Amino acid sequence: MSRGHHAEKATGKGDPQCFKGEASAPKFKVGDRVRIRDLPDIFYTRCQVYTRGAEGVVTVVTHESPAPEDEAWDNVDKPEWFYIVRFKQKELWPEYPDVYENDTLQTEFSERWLESA
Amino acid sequence: MAEKHKPAPMVDEVSDFEVLEVAVRELAIEKGLFSAEDHRRFAEFAHSIGPLPAGRLVAKSWLDPEFKKLALEDGFTASKEVGIDWLNPTGFGTPSDYCDLRVLENTPSVHHVVVCTLCSCYPRPILGHSPEWYRTPNYRRRLVRWPRQVLSEFGLQIPADVEVRVEDSNQKCRFMVMPMRPEGTEDWSEDQLAEIVTRDCMLGVALPHPDRKADDKRPVHKAANPVHGH
Repeated sequence: MSRGHHAEKATGKGDPQCFKGEASAPKFKVGDRVRIRDLPDIFYTRCQVYTRGAEGVVTVVTHESPAPEDEAWDNVDKPEWFYIVRFKQKELWPEYPDVYENDTLQTEFSERWLESA
Repeated sequence: MAEKHKPAPMVDEVSDFEVLEVAVRELAIEKGLFSAEDHRRFAEFAHSIGPLPAGRLVAKSWLDPEFKKLALEDGFTASKEVGIDWLNPTGFGTPSDYCDLRVLENTPSVHHVVVCTLCSCYPRPILGHSPEWYRTPNYRRRLVRWPRQVLSEFGLQIPADVEVRVEDSNQKCRFMVMPMRPEGTEDWSEDQLAEIVTRDCMLGVALPHPDRKADDKRPVHKAANPVHGH
């Protein structure tokens, strides 16, 4: 692999488009209820601590890409599916006011962080 | 006493990240990856891009339901119609940011607002550089937890029956908000509409208003003691 392999792979396609077709079938679909796992993350992660253990609903199956925990170390051979998950704010912050119970937050996870709820 | 009145440094010490940036840049120039002039040109370009193409994308969507459908389904392709190719936004071969643009549509029952709690993910090719406040820890840590309070500090009150939906942009997707077309803009042209879709409206901290344009004249304050003859 050349030192510029990231740029070479993405040229003319874009990142994350350049990883299309490299992950196995997505485990979750839009509407699935999921829980965010609390995996160890001593080196690098993009999974926010405030989402760990929370339950939400998959709203978009976005794209395939290596997980940031791997890509940060140049391990790009195992792309996985990414998902946008929607949470009730009350699920994330127990003190969130009841009067705004409809308020939500969405953020994105690679497949390894999700389990069926 | 003398110690007490020592002048403070004009700027704080440079951060580790600034040192790292200088080191990597100088190495890249030394190795011939790009020249100092290339770097200057790119920096100049990067500072000149702004939110106008995104405002155009929203205005087109308000007028053309087919284009709106495309913008919501495939922001990458819709961007090309307003002159932005995410693969080559600079026009001189420098790589772009991540290329998965998602447009979030506001409705009478949902208001979106964008943040990146991890750092500063932002759809730069179509919105330009992020405002300074977008990158501050204050905005990032408070918006996810107290969104309505933060929005009210921007002067935006969202009614309780409207869902405030925070989008925490933390991976390779990039997000912009498509606000609702305000009343009082019936029969407006695309050019007129594009002028009122300002940057903050597309981050979700403001709503477009028919009387407010990005290039409105600023108030003029006359000098209290004008120089004679001026």
